[in-house]
Parts: sequence; C-alpha cells; structure tokens
Amino acid sequence: MTFWATCAGMLAVTFGSRLAGLGLRAELPPLWHRFLHFVPIAVFAALVTPSLQGSRGEGGIRVAAAALAALAAWRTRQLALAIAVGMAAFWLLRLLPG
Amino acid sequence: MFRDGFRAMLPLWLGVVPFGLAYAVIAHDAGLSLAETQALSVLVFAGSAQVSAAGLFARGAGGLEIVLTTFLLNVRHVLYGMSLGRRVPLTLRQRFVAAYFLTDEAYGVSIARGAKTFRFVLGAELSLFLTWNLATLAGSLLGSVISDPDKVGVDFVFPLAFLALLVPLLRRRAELVVAVFAGVVAWVLSKQAPGGLPIVGAGVSGALLGAWLTRGEAE
Repeated sequence: MTFWATCAGMLAVTFGSRLAGLGLRAELPPLWHRFLHFVPIAVFAALVTPSLQGSRGEGGIRVAAAALAALAAWRTRQLALAIAVGMAAFWLLRLLPG
Repeated sequence: MFRDGFRAMLPLWLGVVPFGLAYAVIAHDAGLSLAETQALSVLVFAGSAQVSAAGLFARGAGGLEIVLTTFLLNVRHVLYGMSLGRRVPLTLRQRFVAAYFLTDEAYGVSIARGAKTFRFVLGAELSLFLTWNLATLAGSLLGSVISDPDKVGVDFVFPLAFLALLVPLLRRRAELVVAVFAGVVAWVLSKQAPGGLPIVGAGVSGALLGAWLTRGEAE
C-alpha cells in the first residue's frame, strides 16, 4: 500500500469510530468497555519493547536510559520531561568508556 | 460559547506541543516527507496513532497493519462519542464536524466543564487541532535541521515517547500485568515477524487478557 492509501485507511477507521459513537444510542456490553480500557496499555507497551534495542548495539545503554525516563514519567507525568531525561541519559551513558 | 471551549484547552497545549514536536521528528526520521507528516495531522488528527504509524513505517510495516493498529488505538472514540452525544444536542451536520475533530483531550475537557453546546465542543476541538498542527509543522522543521539523526539517536525518541505515555496509565495490578505481557509478546514476536503484526497481535491479546483479569468488576 502506498502512503496515501494507508493515510486514507487511517482516516476512515478514525473518523468512522468518532462518528459511530456520536450516532450510537445503544449501550456497549461491559466486556467491551474493559477490553477498550486495556487497548492503549497493551499497544503502547508493544510499541516500546521491539524498538528499544535499536540497531547499533547500544541495547544496554538504551534500556538503562529508558528506565530513567520511565521513572521520570512516573514521578512527573510530563511527556516532555520524560523524553528529555531519557535522551540526556542516553547521550551521557554513551560518553562513558567501554 | 466557542471562545470558552477554545480557552478551556489552553492548559493542555503544554502537553500537546512537545508531543506534536516528537511526532514530527519521529516521522521525519521514518522517512515521511513534510507534506505526508502534516497530512496525517490534518486528516487523521490522532496523536498516538500517528506516532505509531510513523514508527511502523520505519519498521517497514504494511499499510494494512498500520490501518489495523490505528483502528485498535482509535476505536475507543466510540465511547467518547456515545457519552458526548448524550449530553450535547447535535444536528446531523454538527455531528459530522464534531466527530472529525474529536480527541481524548477535547472530550475530557468538554465533559469536565459540563459542555452543553456544539459551539463549546467545537471551540475545544479546534483549539487542539490548531496547536497539534502547528506543533507538527515546527517539529518537521526541527527534524530537517538535525543533520545526523543516527548520531543524535533520534530513533530512540520513539520508544521513549510511548513509555512516557504508558507509565501514567499503570495504576492497578491488572494494568501493569497487561503492559508487561504485551511488551514481552511484542518483543518475542518481533524476532519472528517483521512489520506491524507483532504490535497488533500483542495489542489484541494484551487487551483480552486485561478484560479477562478484570472480569466480575463493577463498571
């Protein structure tokens, strides 16, 4: 699929979901509420792990930097601050010899 | 009033701007052009789905996998629409407009402020749309001045961004269990299958596990 076909598909499923809710008058079964609650948690976690290692043999440094970023995210709940902490830790750890 | 809705979103701009910057930098690193990066912000207008898509493009995922992941992430909007549609009376045309610009943030603020008019909702929605698209543009320009993205480690922004989005969502044991499970499943699957399939597989199985772990809980 080309970029623009993918973009059209993304638009269709996103706008479709948004419109369906505003038009719907029924109640969803509780199972669906619980399923949907866990979707972002599962997808976000699934996006983190495969890309954590990187392709240049810096896996250990990246995991350590990510742990510090997670700590910052947990304490402050600030996206920008967590990314900044993670990147700063990554750059600093890379400077260490060995 | 439109203006009230627009202003009610001001505190959230602080979170939207860095997220929009990060999105565009990641998209640039994934090889998307400025027009493509901006088109997703205008046409799809869904932050986490756009960042996932950028990361999946970089992994060489197929279009179908990217659309599936987008659907998985955005189907929650059905719930927002149902809740909002019950509180705010909308004509058919207003429903299409309100649906196009609907986001987690605009929904949350509209409910919290007890919005009763289409104008308030639209003000809140467009406030975020404007900020998101300006941040996207700024991020694209930022991405294009980073001369050596590999050396800087720009690709590391992607897992960091999702880690920072994930951590505040983990408030209960079941949520932590699902995150660890999905993370491990995706990591193992990604050794076998390239592209976006590991993400879709881990996402669906993780959410099913969560629904099962919380069975019998009161709504």
